Formats: sequence, structure tokens, C-alpha cells
Amino acid sequence: MHRLPTLLSGIFLVFLTSWYGMVAYPVLGLGRLTPVADAETGGTIPAVYGGQAVAGQRVYATEGCIACHSQQVRQTSVTPTDIERGWGVRPSVARDYLRDSTAFLGTRRLGQDLSNVGVRLPDAKWHFKHLYHPSSVCEGSLMPSFSNLFVTRKIQGQRSDEALELTGADAPKEGYEVVPTAEAKNLVAYLLALRHDYPLPEAPVKKSGSGPAK
Amino acid sequence: MSHHPITPFHDEDHGADLRAIDASVRLPVLVLFGNAVHWLVVASLLSFVLSVKLIAPGFLGGISFLTYGRLAPMARDLFLYGWASQAALAAGIWLMARLSGRPLGNSLLTILLVSASVFWNVAVLLGTLAIFAGYGTGVEWLEYPNWASAMLLLSFLLIGIWAVLQFDRRINARAEVAQWFLVAGFCWFPWVYGTANLLLTWKPVQASAQGPIQSWYCGSLLTLWLLPIALAAGYALLPRLLECHLNRRNLAALGFWTLLFLGGWNGMERLLGGPVPAWMTSAGVVAGVLFLIPVAIVAINLFGMRPDPKLTDEGEQGVVLPFLRHGLYALLAVAALGALCALPEVSGALRFTAVTEAKVQLWILGAISFPLFGVLYACLPPLLGRDCWCPALSGRHFWFTFSGLWLLVALMLFGGLFTGLALSDPTVSFLNITSYSYPFHVLECAAQLLLLAAAVILGWNLSRALSWDYLTKNPRK
Repeated sequence: MHRLPTLLSGIFLVFLTSWYGMVAYPVLGLGRLTPVADAETGGTIPAVYGGQAVAGQRVYATEGCIACHSQQVRQTSVTPTDIERGWGVRPSVARDYLRDSTAFLGTRRLGQDLSNVGVRLPDAKWHFKHLYHPSSVCEGSLMPSFSNLFVTRKIQGQRSDEALELTGADAPKEGYEVVPTAEAKNLVAYLLALRHDYPLPEAPVKKSGSGPAK
Repeated sequence: MSHHPITPFHDEDHGADLRAIDASVRLPVLVLFGNAVHWLVVASLLSFVLSVKLIAPGFLGGISFLTYGRLAPMARDLFLYGWASQAALAAGIWLMARLSGRPLGNSLLTILLVSASVFWNVAVLLGTLAIFAGYGTGVEWLEYPNWASAMLLLSFLLIGIWAVLQFDRRINARAEVAQWFLVAGFCWFPWVYGTANLLLTWKPVQASAQGPIQSWYCGSLLTLWLLPIALAAGYALLPRLLECHLNRRNLAALGFWTLLFLGGWNGMERLLGGPVPAWMTSAGVVAGVLFLIPVAIVAINLFGMRPDPKLTDEGEQGVVLPFLRHGLYALLAVAALGALCALPEVSGALRFTAVTEAKVQLWILGAISFPLFGVLYACLPPLLGRDCWCPALSGRHFWFTFSGLWLLVALMLFGGLFTGLALSDPTVSFLNITSYSYPFHVLECAAQLLLLAAAVILGWNLSRALSWDYLTKNPRK
């Protein structure tokens, strides 16, 4: 190992092993997975995102949601916790991420897992209120306010349908309303589209179902 | 005087002209280390703010660019690219120049290295501002936008190619163990960083394939780029500080190759039970446990060095020796913790808790930063040609870093264990568990404050050393 070529070829060969296993193999194998046909609707599983949800992924990325939230339900052979807590009905598999631009798997759960948040919490109004002031709907939540994704504006004529129902200290001044920006709407559309609850050949769903998230 | 300038490499160094070598790399090393330390201060400040946000989510709330989700990746990336990678570049340049026994040779090279260093910092600054302004990619540890990561890679290549060529130009026929590690580190970063950026941010592959690549990157960045440079510091400086020889060179070779081999696979255990084929995570579990082998070899090598009996007092060597030794303790601890957390039962309970964060902190701030601090303290006196450190400040820096790191890690381990066990019981609600972790978060603030104080002390010590130099223009006679 005194000659550079010897050292370099050794380093190169050793590198190739992990590079092949963890980069080339996933790209050639997992990277070529395709959606499966959905017999019920005639579409495909996982269903593609709508335009707003696609844009919402960007907001999820730039706001750094991944710092606190994971998007993976783990195999029961490793831990039953994720399913027992109602974060999903079956473990997440690679094919679930087909429609994402980035796989937001996450490493920390300062907040809850979001792989099935669209199933667990299907109400857009709840999400807007939660994003605006998390602890007003989840007492004791660590989540910071994303009020920067909302605007407070003077009511022009009639109050907007989109205006948040805010009470107490959050309520805007008389004659004003708080409405979500396009970014907030995209983010919520994305959250509502998050679900890993459909059956796949490699991940069947047991019929028993699960309760709400705890 | 209790503290004299540490000039390792004073022994039988092949008759190389050390003064000429130091003079030739002085500017790039100072630019890199100086900026690295200032990013360390910024990153520590951000970490402190983040820890306050965990006990008071409303702190600096409602301001888009100061939300937790933006500050967290900013701080992490500053630790990785602003501080650790940059300090590793500085340490790498100095060690490689010294070990190869040759000065840069021509001033064009100096200009090239300095420009690359400046370019690196511009990339870090712009990348950080981009996350700040909401242009982050959302890929963990690779949040910088495409153009910023491309700039980082380019600057690295300019420095890395020089380092590898410098190895080839060395005057010692028999390469030192430290030199292998340096060459390996400099070769791996561009490959690891380039591959990960290409496949995850520049031209993302289908997301179903991204998980393994993300894990591979996070593992490899630590074990195959930063750790080899940190180990090179130990292998190069310890024998010279203790005035003894490295025994068991063959063992060191075994350690080197097993580290490189297992390091690349070490990382997949981060996806245990996740959406990847089971064989991949199994390989990660095996690599995570076997990683203890190269770490044990390094420990046998480096702790096995017995100081020359004629060496009167190790204490006179200042903080270099403690930093190198405690870096090794941190490495042993993180390897043991990694092996433990790779076990499916443990991973199942603790993977998403603060235990994972404790591991990352031990890696970045302990196993990697401690040896890099050692190089910084060792290289500045010979580079500036005088005893430039204030010993009181150096000592305080050591103790603040040491206590801050271990307090933080202990809190995260206990806090993580606590929440992990509570999470396993589905009857305990998630918000309840959040409230359990509150006391840990409060104490973590104190630990982050200690680390911030340590970074500020180091910054003060360094700027004091450097500005005194510029004022007096007192190069070594």
C-alpha cells in the first residue's frame, strides 16, 4: 500500500461493494417498480397525486416537516408499535413511494408518523386550524405555528368560505379574517393524499382494521 | 511556561523542510480552519435556539424563516459542511503536506487551494441562506439546492485531487497509516456526495429507490469521509506527541480495510423494518455490529502506544492529547451504541427517538470533532511560528465541549429510552409521551448552552491568536 495505484484500486474496489448494494441495486431494482392495476376503480395503485398535492410536496420539503415527522409504518416483525398506535393498517413498502418526488422517510418522531395522515385525519379544516395554531387543537403539542402560511385580511363583502374558525386569542380583529395561502392549501392537499392503506401484492391489508391514532 | 508550542513532526521527519511546508499551506489551512470555527459558532447558536423551541414551541414563532423545520437542517448542514467537513479539509491539507514531506511547490497551487476554500464557504453560505429562504430540498443532510451542492463538490475536487497527488509526491518510501486514511477520505467524499446528490436532488430517481441511498449517504459521510480524516489525525499526531512508534502496523492495515468495507454498509440499519428489501437492512445490522472490529483495532493501535519514558510530562502538551484521546472514547461509545441500536429489538423501540439523535451528536461532535480540534490546536503554533493559544481558554474550551457533549448525549439517551418504552405501549397517548420528554428537553437546553459557550471560547481563542499575528507580523525567524 505504498504505491498510489495499489491504494486507489483497493479503495475503489471496496467502495464498489457498498455502492453496488446500496445505490446501484436500489436504482435498478426498486427504481423500476411500477404501479399495480386497481380492479375496483380501473385506475392504478398507488393513485397519482392531484396537482395541488404535487405542489404540496415542495412545501413539505422547504418547511422541513421531515425534521419531526416520519412517513413509514414499520414491519411488525421489527415492532408492532406503528400499527398498534393506528399510524397504519399495514407496513409501508417501497411501492408506496412511487408517486412521491422525494421519499420523506424521516428519522425522528418528535411528531406523529404521517404515512396515513390523510386517512386518520381527513378534514381539511382541521389541518388548517392545526397548522395555524397546533396547540389550539392538540393541547401540549410541540409543533410550532405555521401562521406564516396564512394571511389576515379585511373582509371584503362576505366572509370567505376558506376563513378559519378561530376563537379566543387567535381570533382576528372585528371585520378581519384569516385565510390559507396557496402554499397552505397545497400542503393540506398533500397531507390529505397521504395514505398507505390500499392492498398491494407484497403488502396485503388484514380486514380487521384499526382504531383512530392514539 | 506550562504551555509551549506543540510542534509535532519534529522527530526524524525525513529531513523535510518543515518550515517551508508550513509556509506553503499556511494560507489555505488558516482560511479553512478560521471559517470552520465561525460556522461552528453559528451552528451551535442555531442548535441552542432549536433546543429552546422544543420547550417553548412559540419561541420566535410564526416567522417563516425561523421555524424549527428550517433552522434544524440549517444547523445540521452547518455542522456537517460548514464545520466538520471544512475542518477535515484543513486538517487533511496540513497533515498530507507534513506527512508527504514536501511543500506545495508553486504559488499557483496555493492560490488554487485558497480559492477552492473560499468557494466552499460561499457555497455553504448560499446553501444556508437558501434553506433559510425556503429553497431547501427536504432530503436529509442534502438540503442545499442543486447549485450550492455542485459548488461544494467542485471546491472539494480541487482540494482533493491535490491531496491525492501530494501523496504520490511524498518523500517517505513507506507510506504512513495516517496517509492511507487521508487518501481514502479524500477519494470517498466526492463519490459519496456526488452519487447521493445526483440520485436524490439533481436528477432524483424514483422515490421508491431513494430510501437506501439516503441511508447509505448519511452513514458513508460520517464513516468514510469524516472518520478517516479524524483517524488520520490520531495516527499521525499521537506517535509524535508521545514520542513513540506505532506498533502492529499489519493490524492497522486490517483495521483500515475493514473500516472501509463495513463503513459503506453501516447505515442501512437506519431503515430497519422500513420500506426496503429485508436483506438490505439485515446487511446493515451485520455491518453495524461488525463495525466494532475496525473500531477496536483503532483503539488497540492508538491506545496501545506507550509514551517515551523520557517524556517528562504529558500535561505540558496542552489540549491536543486530551482532544485526540477523548475523540477515541467517543468513537468507542458511538460504535457500541450503533451496534446496540442495530439489533432489531432495540431499533424497533428506539429508532425514531432521541437515541438516534444522540448517536449523530456523538459522531459529529465527539468522534469527529474532537480529533479535528486536536489538529487545530496542534497546527496553529507551527503555522504561525509561535505559541499563539491562550492555555486558559484552550482548557476551558476542552472542558465545556466535553461536558456539553456528554451531558447532551446522556440526556438524549435517557429521554429516548423513556419515550421509546412509552411509545411501545399504545394505551399511552402520543401527546402524553411528548409531555414526559419535557424535562429532558429543558436540560438539553443547558447542554446546548455549554456547547455554544465552548464554540464561542474557541472562536475567541482563535481570533485572538490570528489577529495578534496580523498586528505584529511576527513570523518564525
